This record gives sequence, C-alpha cells and structure tokens, in this order.
Amino acid sequence: MAGWPNPTQVMGKPTTRLDGVAKVTGAAKYAYDAQPEGWLYGMILYAKWAAAKVTKIDISKAQALPGVKAVILTGGEQRTVRYYGQELAAVAATTKQACLDALRAIEVEAQPLPCVVKEEDAMKPGSPPVSDGPNASNVSQPDVKEDGQVDQAIAGAAAVAELHLSTGTQLHHSLETHGSTVSVQSNGQVTAWSSTQGVFSVRDGIAGAAGVPQSNVEVICDYMGGGFGSKFGAGVPGGLATHLSKITGLPVKMMFTRLEEGLNAGNRPSSRQRIKLAADAKGKLVAADVENFGSPGISGGGQTAGGGGGAGIAIPYLYGFPAHRSQQSSIALNTGGSCAFRAPGHPPASFSTESVMDELALKLNMDPVDFRLLNDGFNVRQREYQVGRDKFGWAAKYKKPGSSPGPVKSGVGVAGGGWGGGGGGTKAEAQINSDGTVEVRCGTQDLGTGARTVVAIVAAEAFGLRPDQIKVRIGDTNLPPSGGSGGSSTTPSISPAIWDTCQNALAALQQQTGVADARGANWLDACKKLGVNPVTAQGQWREGFSSGGAGGVNFVEVKVDTETGYIRVTKVVAVHDCGLIVNPLTTTSQVNGGILMGMSYALYEDRVMDRLTGLLLTTNFDTYKLTNIADCPDIEVILIDMPERGVIGIGEPSTIPIAGAIANAVANAIGVRVTSLPITPAKVLAALGKVPNTPSA
Amino acid sequence: MKAFQYVTAGSPEEAASLIGPNGRYLAGGIDLVGEMKEYIVSPDVVVNVKGVFSPKIPTILFSDDHAGCLLFATASIAEIAAHQDIQNAVPGLSEAASEVGSPQIRNVASLAGNLLQHSRCWYYRQPDIVCLKRGGTMCHSHDGENKYHSLFTGNPCISPVVSNLAIILTALDATAHVNRGGKDQAMKMAELYHEAWVNPTAHSSLDPQDFLTQVNVPFSRTRSAYRQVSEKAEFDWALVNCAAAGNVTGGIITNARVVLGAVAPVPYMVAEANKFLEGKPLTDETASKAADLILREAKPLEHNGYKIPLAHALIRRTLLALNP
Repeated sequence: MAGWPNPTQVMGKPTTRLDGVAKVTGAAKYAYDAQPEGWLYGMILYAKWAAAKVTKIDISKAQALPGVKAVILTGGEQRTVRYYGQELAAVAATTKQACLDALRAIEVEAQPLPCVVKEEDAMKPGSPPVSDGPNASNVSQPDVKEDGQVDQAIAGAAAVAELHLSTGTQLHHSLETHGSTVSVQSNGQVTAWSSTQGVFSVRDGIAGAAGVPQSNVEVICDYMGGGFGSKFGAGVPGGLATHLSKITGLPVKMMFTRLEEGLNAGNRPSSRQRIKLAADAKGKLVAADVENFGSPGISGGGQTAGGGGGAGIAIPYLYGFPAHRSQQSSIALNTGGSCAFRAPGHPPASFSTESVMDELALKLNMDPVDFRLLNDGFNVRQREYQVGRDKFGWAAKYKKPGSSPGPVKSGVGVAGGGWGGGGGGTKAEAQINSDGTVEVRCGTQDLGTGARTVVAIVAAEAFGLRPDQIKVRIGDTNLPPSGGSGGSSTTPSISPAIWDTCQNALAALQQQTGVADARGANWLDACKKLGVNPVTAQGQWREGFSSGGAGGVNFVEVKVDTETGYIRVTKVVAVHDCGLIVNPLTTTSQVNGGILMGMSYALYEDRVMDRLTGLLLTTNFDTYKLTNIADCPDIEVILIDMPERGVIGIGEPSTIPIAGAIANAVANAIGVRVTSLPITPAKVLAALGKVPNTPSA
Repeated sequence: MKAFQYVTAGSPEEAASLIGPNGRYLAGGIDLVGEMKEYIVSPDVVVNVKGVFSPKIPTILFSDDHAGCLLFATASIAEIAAHQDIQNAVPGLSEAASEVGSPQIRNVASLAGNLLQHSRCWYYRQPDIVCLKRGGTMCHSHDGENKYHSLFTGNPCISPVVSNLAIILTALDATAHVNRGGKDQAMKMAELYHEAWVNPTAHSSLDPQDFLTQVNVPFSRTRSAYRQVSEKAEFDWALVNCAAAGNVTGGIITNARVVLGAVAPVPYMVAEANKFLEGKPLTDETASKAADLILREAKPLEHNGYKIPLAHALIRRTLLALNP
C-alpha cells in the first residue's frame, strides 16, 4: 500500500518481544497479580443443578463467619436456574479460605427440574424446555438460505459426496481465568485491573455496575493470559467485584476458578452437520446442500435461528457454489452460553466442508490439492497451495488412502481457511523529549500476541530508531481510545494509527527544531534543540495502511496406530498471508498458537456433560484435554509477504484449517473417515470396525 | 479445604501413632492435596511422612545377591524411573514409572502415593456429585459417561485402577509391606487391591491408618515390559495399560504374568492366560491367544468397547516385547 515506506527498515524484520523477559521472569503483572492495599478475595456461589427452582437462599450463617466482609445475592432469592454454574450469590472476605467457608455456609433451597444437556436429546419432542414462555422451544426455526437450482445441479452432477459430521463444544479455558480486581473508592473514583480484550468496554460495564460516570473509571490491563473472544466485557466477575467493592469500601479481586472457567467463560458451539457437495466431470463444484444444528447453550432455541448469537457456522465453506442451500438451527441446552471463539463459525465449517471435499476428490480420482486449486477462487490461497505443496513435498507423500504398510499408518491431508479482519478506530499519541526518549501511548491491549512490540516497531520505523528505544504505554483507559482486540483487527488497527501519530510527531519535531530530517542519525541532535517543551502529537487510524481478507492453508502429516487408535501429528506446514508483516517472530508465534489450539479442537478438547444430572464432567485439565508440549508436531510456518496489501491480522485465520487438514490426514492414513471431532483413539478404532457391538443406553 | 492439624513423623511407627481415626499420610501430596481442595477427603490430621526413613539409606536398595530390590514407600517416581539397576533388572518397572504423569509430577509423587491413589473417575472427582464410591446411592457412570471405565468389575462401581506401578508390580509378583496396627504385614499386590474389586467405596485394601512402608520386587523373572496408550503423548492417563513379566529362553516363555490396567478396579490378571503361556513360543499367535483369554469376560458398556481391541493389541505388544 502506498502509505508505508518501501522498503521498510524495522517493520518486517524479526524483533524479539519487548516484554519477553518480564513475562518469563514473572515481573510482568497480570490482573491476577493486582494487590491494591487492603484487597479482598471475592468468590461466587454457583448453582449445583442444571435446572432448578430456587426457593430460598439464606446467607446469614455465611455473613457471620470470621473474615467475611460481604455476602450478596446476584439476583432475586426466588429464581430459575437454567444451567450448572449459574451464579446465585457472591462473597468477599479477607482470605480465599474464608470465601470458600462462606460459600459452603450459604443455604440454598431448590427444587431440581428436568434438564437437557445433549443436542440429540433436545431435538426430541417433549424434551424439557430450557426456557419459559409461550415461544420457548429447544429447537429454533431453521435459518434457510438458498440460491440457484440445487436439486437440479446435484441430479446432473458427475460426482456427489455427502457426510454427516459433528464437532464438540470447545470451552474457553484461558490460562489466566476471567476476572478483575476492582477498587471503588468513596469519592466515586474506580480503578480496575482486568484480564480483558477491551479495556474500554470493561470500563463501560464497570461504570454501569458502580453507577458512576465512565470518566470516573480507569481500567488497566498491562498483561493478560488469553482471551480468544471471551474477554470483551466486564463479565460476571467484573460486575460482582464492583458491587462487592462498593459495599465493603475495599478493592475486591474476583477471578474465576478453573471449574468456573469451564462453566461460565463461554464456549464454541457444537455442530451436527450434513454436508453434500457436487461437482461436474471436470471437477468443478456445482452445488452444495448443507444442514447444521448446534448448541450455544441456554441462548439457543426459540427465535435465535441459526445466525449470529446462535450456533450458525460458515457453511458451505470457502468455495463459490453456483447453487447452494443451507439450513441451520440452534438448539437450547441447560449449559453455559457460548460466545465469540477464535474465528467464530469457521473451524467447524472448514473441518466439515474440507472433509467432504476430499471425499469428492476421491470420487473424481483427483489429487486433493489439484481439486482445491481448480475450485478456490481466491488468488492468495491459490499461491499458498502451490507454495505449501512444494515445501511439504505433497507429490511424494500423497498416497491412496489406507495404503501405507504396517499397523502404524502415515497419511497426509490439506485444508484451507479464510478470514475477513481489517482495522479501524484507533487513536494514539506520541511524546518526544529533549533527551531523545520517545513515549507512544495507545489504549489498546496486548492479548499476548505482541501488540506492545508492534507499537514500538511502527514508531521505530517512523523515527529511524530501534524498537527498544520506544517506551510504549498501552492497556489503560486513560490513554487514547482503541477498540477491543477481536476479529484479528488489533495489528491492522493500531499500526496505521501509530504510524500516523509518529508522522505527525516527526513533522512537529522537525518544524520546532528546524532540522530537515530528524530521523535516525540526526535524532539526538534534533531532540536536544527542543529544550523544555517536549513534542506531543496525536494521530489516528487511516485508510490505505491495512486491509482484510486473509487466506491460509495447512498441510499435515499424521501417524495413526490402527491397533490402538493413537494419533500423532508429525508435521504441519502452515502457509498464511498477512499482508505487510510487522514482526515475523510474533506473527509466527501466533500461527504456532493457532495450530496448537486448532489441533486441540481436532484431537483432544471435548466438553462432556452428564445426561442425568446435567453437570459438567470435564472439570479439570486431566479430562478436558489440551495439546501439550509433548504432542506438538514439527510446525513450519510460511508467511507470504505481501506488503502491497497493508497490515492484515493473523490471530483467527491461523487456527481455521488445521482441524480439517488433520481429519483429512487421518482418513488418508487409515482409509476410513472419522467424521466427529475430537478424533480420539476410541473413534479411530470404531471407524475401523474394531469395536464390538455394545449395548446402547 | 477444611482446617487440619499438620504433624511430621520421624519413623513409620510414629506415623502410625499420629494418624488417628481421621488422618491421612502425606508424602508427595499429588493426590491427597487435590482431594482435600475439592473436599473429597477432609482429614483432621495430616501426617507428613516424607522423612520417616533415614536419609542415610537410599530409597531404592538392591539385595546383595541381586535377587531383588526394595523400594521404600517414599521413593519418588522419578527416582524409580531413572534408576540404572532397575532399568537393567526390571525394565518394565522403569517404563511404567516413566509414563506416570508429567516430569513435574514424577519428581514429587511417591511410590506409595502412586499405588494408593484414589479413583480418577470423573463422577468421583466431580465436586457436586456424590457417587457410589463417595458414599452415594448410585454409580452414575454405569449408564452415563463411561468412556474411561472398567470392562471388568466385581461390584457396582466401574472406576478402574489407574496406578501404572500397580500393574507392573503385579506382573513382577512384588510384595508390599504394610504397618497395620503396629505390626508388619506382607501383602501380595492382589491382596493390596482385592477390596476394590468387591467394595464400591474402596480404592485399595488399605485403611487410611495402614502405612505402606515398602515394596519388595523379586527378580525371578528376567524379562519384563510395560506398554500404555493414552489420548495424548504425555501427562495423560492410560486408556489401557499392560505389563508382562516372565523368563524367555530360546524363544520359549515360562512363569509368565500378564496384567491389564485401567480396565478393572484392580490390576487385572487371568490365571488361565498365564497358564496357557507356560512353555509356549513367544509369537504373535500365542500372544493373541493369551489376549483372547484375558479379555474373554470383558463386559463393555456404551462408551468403553474400544478398550477391548486396544487391550488386545497392548497385550500382544507387551508380551512380544519380552523377547530378548
């Protein structure tokens, strides 16, 4: 894009994360670490039933316990519990143990109600209604979209492939759980240390909860341990910490426990999909006929249809189908509600569509990569498939499904993804001091993706300095506003704003000092001329420096033990485009993380609910399984450098294709397809026909 | 967790005298502390037993004639896994130890804690469910989510034993020594776990007051092996694990013992299979026949039928690994 220098001096070169040392030494302080003078622990009493009528909540015994400063109800005493984990009351006390004792001393009388926690059960007529009211239905009206003559196109197609596929509910399990430490002072000033993707949206939520003007509230997020779409607002813990702080006059720290994180932090909805794709004799896709129902928990059913806020996903995915029909419904369950989750609607859609694409390629006797090249209309992904195919050695590795010798079979798979993204709405300011020091301020926050380093890199580029010469201040609502960090929009939002700001500062410096070019070698001499008045300048996001529309493809090699079902991902080649790469180190790191998270989704993560009680069984990381270091494959990240497209985010596109690519590689290895995520040893053995018939429940 | 008194014992005898009616021994604490935090157990006394044996004596001792070794209760899993003489004499024991948890857990966890750890059933560990094992009225997993559960049981609880070391030590025919009421009592591994086969609330045959002091491992079987399969590469429970031991001369196996884990509340061994193997050539065919015999009585539930082919494969592989 015209706006950026060409060539760049700092942008695009590897820059070590500026706060890396602080993070690994523990010097970096997270919301969890905030300890303002006199702070109290806050904890939540959550419902122990999936559905119940609460008739009485007696907090008197809890209030009398030593160390307990406040006990509050989070709603009326009589109310309906609709999912396990719903908050009923909250306590603040001087120690964590005092909180735990208080929670156990609160007496709740409730009448358990029938519940439904499995999608298939909720589909049955007469399933216990999750919501009240005349329009309450556990299954929403379908959201139907249709274009072209679908049935006709399928009937006339040379090849048709159809699969029934399912994906589980993926829980948000940020390593730093959700929460805030909130200090409401008697003068109405509020300070909050929050683990958040959006300091300004948390500020607004806390101001509302405290009943004070937004301008009275400062929200600080120096560091945070993961959000992935689930940490935009103050949330339940932020709101309760605010109430408890207001009552006690002391700061209150309220962070979810690991169990609460699994119950109440949000999740990626499940899916049950039927995907039917058709192609002509040359392999050109002619039609797609797809259906899905999934559950976003309590928020499903009723009038939610399949769209936003429900469980809708982006099917049929990625390819332009001349004729297509989709029908999606959302199912209500007595489980915690879903929320945005890294590339909402995309990973399950890529998994399903790309699975059927491989089945269709087999029927057409076409190589899966050739088949995609023939049908993918995005020129960036075209390039990525070709680069990745060579790097991966696809031609030598791709064999007929199931043809690898011996019980441990190797296989390869490929899949693609796409994401919108783009930037906007960020302001910043810069100050240049007479000793040459520079401070750049922006109210964005670093999700762990390297935003702080990005700010320094762009400023260094503008001033002809090194990134470590820039003092970066972010993560505070007292700084110029920036939006929430979501939708892969942070880097494309802040980079142009920082550039604009620094260009304005540089112009002011040069004007104030009369130095024609103050950059680089001239910097210190120019700054010396400033005297007592530092230069300050503001700037904002502008068109022409960033864009959206990223593509990515993954090539995967797996080994599958056909006698035990054990799956090992041995190699991943991930090819991504993110326009002008600001920092290849943190970009690569983000792609690595996207692959490991997507691999977790494909192979390990599975929320398991108990049908009878409606309670969560995967309460900890020994049963809610995540990719570990020992599971990590050899990952090769190839970033297609396209500076002419400006800055593009990578957070979401990096996690989309991997599940589909793994599923395709497993199918290629063992010669049969596992159509359900996560792909576990049990499912591999079942797909191979090795599991004896078992009684059904 | 509930408040408790914390005391340190200087000897096994002192530990047994301090424990009281509602106490627990603490060595590594990997299992106990988690259970206390979840209010699954709430002892009023916690007896630190980390220093009950003289620090001058190694936690792993070999007999002079090298006919066996003695593992003190407080030996860490990492020590057992890394011990060169154990690797040479009973490699299956090293393999089983090195598959326990993660490096961090192996560094802290003790032999006794591994053997006597409580059920990992996700109903038993669910903080808001009181299952049969915790004194409730029903086993929720039987008609519920039983993917990780037993194929064999002698009681209504289907949560399986998950100790890797229990499996290999059963195969090696080890003997545990337990201070029970001030007296030393020798128990074969089958006795150490028998109560869990018949009693749904039991995790082993020991009461909290019984103090497991040591395990004696005979080296009468010169070949041993351990194999497990988990969903993940590391830091994951075995879906099924298998240990085998015996003597192999000229391709012929004698004194075989084959044991399965994670499929029953106790280390699961079928005498008929061991007998069948006696004097047989150690081939895929005999191993497969032994596997058939071991799995003959398997009763799969809705979600754990995959454990049958998985166990079959593991039995074959573990047995064949006994070949020199």
